[in-house]
Amino acid sequence: MSATRRFTQVLGLAAAGALAFGLAGCSGGASAAGGGDDELTTVGFVAVGPEGAWREANEANIQDTFTKEAGFDLKYAPATNLDQKSQIDAFTSFVDEGVDVILLSATEGSGWEDSLERAQEAEIPVILIDRGIEPDDTDLYVTRIAPDNNEVSQGVADWAVGAFPDGANYFVLEGPAGVSVVNERNEGWDEVIGSEPSFVKVGAQTANWSTEEAKSVFETVLKSNNNDIQVVFAQNDEMGLGAIQAVEEAGLVPGVDVKIATIDGTKAALEALADNKLSFVAEYNPLFGETALDVVNKVLDGESVDSYIIVPSETFDSPEAAAEALPDRKF
Amino acid sequence: MMSDTTPSIGRWFAELARRQYFWGIVAIVVLLLINVLKDPTYLSISVSPTTGNLVGNLIDILRAAAPIMLIAVGMCLVVATGGIDLSVGSVMVVSGAVSMEFLHSASGSVGDAFLAFGLAVLISAVLGTVNGVLVAVVGLQPFISTLFIMLAGRGLAKVITGGQNTAATNDSFRWLANGYVFGIPVVFILALLVVIAVGVLVRRSALGLMIEAIGMDPKAARLAGVNRRGLLFTVYIFSAVLAGIAGVFGTASVMTVDVSRTGYQLELDAILAVVIGGTSLAGGKFNITGAVVGALLIATLDKTVVFLGVSSSATPAFKAIVIVVLCLLQSERVRQVFRQRRASRPHTPQKEVIPA
Repeated sequence: MSATRRFTQVLGLAAAGALAFGLAGCSGGASAAGGGDDELTTVGFVAVGPEGAWREANEANIQDTFTKEAGFDLKYAPATNLDQKSQIDAFTSFVDEGVDVILLSATEGSGWEDSLERAQEAEIPVILIDRGIEPDDTDLYVTRIAPDNNEVSQGVADWAVGAFPDGANYFVLEGPAGVSVVNERNEGWDEVIGSEPSFVKVGAQTANWSTEEAKSVFETVLKSNNNDIQVVFAQNDEMGLGAIQAVEEAGLVPGVDVKIATIDGTKAALEALADNKLSFVAEYNPLFGETALDVVNKVLDGESVDSYIIVPSETFDSPEAAAEALPDRKF
Repeated sequence: MMSDTTPSIGRWFAELARRQYFWGIVAIVVLLLINVLKDPTYLSISVSPTTGNLVGNLIDILRAAAPIMLIAVGMCLVVATGGIDLSVGSVMVVSGAVSMEFLHSASGSVGDAFLAFGLAVLISAVLGTVNGVLVAVVGLQPFISTLFIMLAGRGLAKVITGGQNTAATNDSFRWLANGYVFGIPVVFILALLVVIAVGVLVRRSALGLMIEAIGMDPKAARLAGVNRRGLLFTVYIFSAVLAGIAGVFGTASVMTVDVSRTGYQLELDAILAVVIGGTSLAGGKFNITGAVVGALLIATLDKTVVFLGVSSSATPAFKAIVIVVLCLLQSERVRQVFRQRRASRPHTPQKEVIPA
């Protein structure tokens, strides 16, 4: 009796394992590519994984650039559910494997010192993609390639100042607390708005980059302020789209009663801008695979590069501009 | 008349105060009072002039509580069998992903909304069945089996949507989460109906007793002729289906499924709601009303944090403190300590008098 029971247990475990493998295979993608070919440069990409349309475009662009044809073997390791620990594990295994270069998009800014020092000891150059680290110790990595969050959010603030010369009450929908992007986007905004006394900060709350949470947060914020908010600075498109729905549900008109500005410039946001529901979208350009490729080649040839390479971004301030950009939007 | 009702109200209140979830109700009242202190009109509910629906913070709380109520009630039954269902958050995202992906390619008709809802519930039931097989047939620990679905589920949602956050438009589907009937949010009415149906089903039949029996002592239950396997299947499928409906509510509210965020860590909210409601994680008993109170408390807490404008970085700590205090108040041992202290108080002042 116990033998059959044992057998069914083993069978169940095997089935579970097979299912897990199947799923891992589906979501893993390019990570399975093995070594072997000595001429290829192996690049370990510690990535964020599914997070939103922006990240999707960015990571797909990197993957499409570092191809076998271009002479690279890219190992793509997305984080499990945006968990930093899974990223550190992936990073460590890339160091142990001895890849030629590591690209890192950190889900969280702090806590990378030990891992980066290990890479340094192994003489593996690390290039930060998009997300920075905290504290920002430039000795620990070669360079950071990213659109400048500070500059982009200053652009949003400049628009707000222009659109409301007499000032306004504003609310900030932030990403998760502690992420470098959030801090930088706050700094850029505050640098401009801080010197405008007519702008009153009603509050700031995290909505974790999520549409659903942003809607729930903003409906309450509107009530706690008797709908007296004119500007919303949503730090990503998804949250801005959530804010639109909260505004509509409160019986107000987005774009008229409450103007919402977002950062990222995904297709969904531009569509909303074209419909006059968003009022301003600042692009945070995700397509910098080519720049990354150049930098990797330079670093491997021993050339020196700047510690921060800024990727240029656009802004869209009218429905017409959005409508014009929509047809060839890639993300 | 007065003299007739007062004692019965008093008795009713004394009865209520003995319930475990009494402190949950107290916590909700305290949180609401704090909000009222910040804004005296917090509790007011008005009728929107444009739509004719009820508008107010309390209405928002009810709407936010609806999905948590569903998963908490499912969790409640699973916990009663001595198990735990960690997969509810992931089942939510799978159900959301399936419905959004379906609606994305379908037309905006009412029929499609029903189909999407049906599909979501169906796939949730399948996931619940997998849980049931792992727990009841294979005999794995519920913690491990549902942990497996928790991880695999989110992966599955990513596969379904191709890793993208998928949005769709369908007015009837959207109505589920944002619509009103007689001025009250549809989600809350639906959640309440489902919860009442489950409550009546398990408490008016022997089902609840049998579920508790296998949680208390599986062997004794088997000797008494309780079909353990069948019941485990039932509760895990129940829990998953309720989570699936919660997932539909969550995604329908914004008509977008966010593969990394929808339902994320909501299993913890569900467990918390169940515990606040006085259901022991050791199994063997359950309290559905308590789970509903717990869910309402969590929604109130979430909304309070935003209403008070607690800063993002302090939010988790604020929530944790409220919940720890609540659990301490509920704990029999802590209450005992307080009682002893109160009893011994008369002696202390005497001691202080002597040196003076």
